[in-house]
Amino acid sequence: MTTDDPLPIALSEISACFEGLIPAEIATASADGVPNVTHLSRVHMVDDERVALSNQFFSKTMRNLAENPHACVVVVDPLNYDSYRMMLVYERTERRGPIFERLRRDVDAIAALTGMAGVFKLRSADIYRVVEVEQVLAAVHVAEQ
Amino acid sequence: MITAETAELVESPCSLIVGTVDATGLPDASRAWGVEVIDDGHVRLLLSTQAEVTRRNVERGGRVAVTATHFFTFESVQLKGVAIRIEEATPADRIRFDHYCSGAAAAIAESDGTPLERVMRFVTAGIYACTMTVEAVFDQTPGRSAGAQLAPS
Repeated sequence: MTTDDPLPIALSEISACFEGLIPAEIATASADGVPNVTHLSRVHMVDDERVALSNQFFSKTMRNLAENPHACVVVVDPLNYDSYRMMLVYERTERRGPIFERLRRDVDAIAALTGMAGVFKLRSADIYRVVEVEQVLAAVHVAEQ
Repeated sequence: MITAETAELVESPCSLIVGTVDATGLPDASRAWGVEVIDDGHVRLLLSTQAEVTRRNVERGGRVAVTATHFFTFESVQLKGVAIRIEEATPADRIRFDHYCSGAAAAIAESDGTPLERVMRFVTAGIYACTMTVEAVFDQTPGRSAGAQLAPS
């Protein structure tokens, strides 16, 4: 895996995946190779190379990232249900500032919509560099080939 | 290890996501396409033949995490363990796969109003079976108890 080559799929090409309409998933691994997988309410595009994830409950994910900074995230395009698998490397955590505020407003809105106000609470905005993006093929893509 | 309540959830047409890891420590995320609880400590996962990284990771007997989440209540559990056997899908697996896909797609369509034919675009082209020894079960339902170990207690 390299971090210098341009991504084969630009994040802006799959911007619908970052609207938060369909939950994403994130897998991390501890230093001794134990995976953890959980849902994310939304993945936020920060720029062409970075995404931000809201840290609400997933303390195991945070413990894993402290030991092993790699994560794998799958996002879904709500317009056609195509999925994309992204390999991420953790860069930093923000607990204030514009990115944090953007994520906090989003978490509060999702909490209100799902009846989880008081349960969903943003702890931090975690910034990741995207080092790989690939489409997850499905039966429909085989049929289209 | 696997209670009746956990078995009912993981065998239902719920959201099934899978985490694995390769020999260098890189995690992988994919989906499962049905689960059968074999006994108190083993489950049979139906995994996608199109998820090549996941297949490589389970073929080497790697560790596996599976999180099952109810589409409406968000009740969620995570099973953690080891892949012990990989085999081609049987006719019974394919029936379970079809039942899972139709049930999950209907639940998604009902939950957000997306047309069923669009939701069905996410269905994978093929499956194989992975037997997993379950070593621990965790509560993943959003809230203060998220992450709590349910078994072994």
